[in-house]
Amino acid sequence: MTALLDATLGGLILCSKLVLIVVPLVTIFEVLRHVRIFQSIGSRTEPVMRCLGLGRSAVLPLFTGIFLGIAYGAGIIIRSAATGQMDRRELFLTGLFLATCHAVIEDVLIFVVLGGDGVVMLGLRLLLAIILTVLLARLWPRKTI
Amino acid sequence: MEITEKEQVPPVFERLRTGMVDGWWTVFRMLKFVLPLYIIVDLSKSSGLIDSLGSWCAPFMGLFGLPGETAFAFIAAALINLYAAIAVLAPLDLTPWQVTQCGVMMGIAHNLVLEGGVLSSTGARGGILTLCRILLAVIAGWLMMGLQWLGVAG
Repeated sequence: MTALLDATLGGLILCSKLVLIVVPLVTIFEVLRHVRIFQSIGSRTEPVMRCLGLGRSAVLPLFTGIFLGIAYGAGIIIRSAATGQMDRRELFLTGLFLATCHAVIEDVLIFVVLGGDGVVMLGLRLLLAIILTVLLARLWPRKTI
Repeated sequence: MEITEKEQVPPVFERLRTGMVDGWWTVFRMLKFVLPLYIIVDLSKSSGLIDSLGSWCAPFMGLFGLPGETAFAFIAAALINLYAAIAVLAPLDLTPWQVTQCGVMMGIAHNLVLEGGVLSSTGARGGILTLCRILLAVIAGWLMMGLQWLGVAG
């Protein structure tokens, strides 16, 4: 019984952490979404994103996820999906990239502490995530209207 | 580049308000998955599941050129998180290349239950994505063992 109580308590602590980070993140995203600079970042990254089979609405979730972690990237993905900016294919491809490659800085540092090679770990994970996403984007063509 | 879509831009105050409301809505959507899964994962820690799964997997670690004890770290990473994994990994006497190999493999496949739930909450197929992670971790492990065998690294 105490185990269940402890688990619930731990879960609630995790949930409050999520609230503390995701609510401000989504708020900032909503405010900045209309600022011209951010729209031009979206246009600039479009060619890169197209290689991954993704549109510009996936830029922000992707980079949030790569650096901050999957839960925070997911927070933004849920928003983009709810406003109809991402379709099922984009949701899956963004999810695929982030599932294999997220919170890279924290993850890599954990193993650098044990004597691992940070450059190899970071490079290989990014490379594999890119290859997998590009491959699947080719196999699963965008619906032409 | 010209902006083609003429979306009505609401005032900052309005955007702050929508952001807050949407933020809470987003979090609640995630919590439906995260809270129950966290409780399940936390309870599995004391159930001995990691030990039994670990000893079952240990003989297979040789396939990746890793000692059998690392299986417990892999299971801990997959079910809990990377911090639990390095606690198991640290006392083992691994070469720097083996640590790097574990880092890549566990970096790809960790905290699968909770993160699978988070991925599902976005509307993507969390189960399939999790399967992809496990497969990619296996491929990465073989790739890195191959690199070492070829003498390219390690």
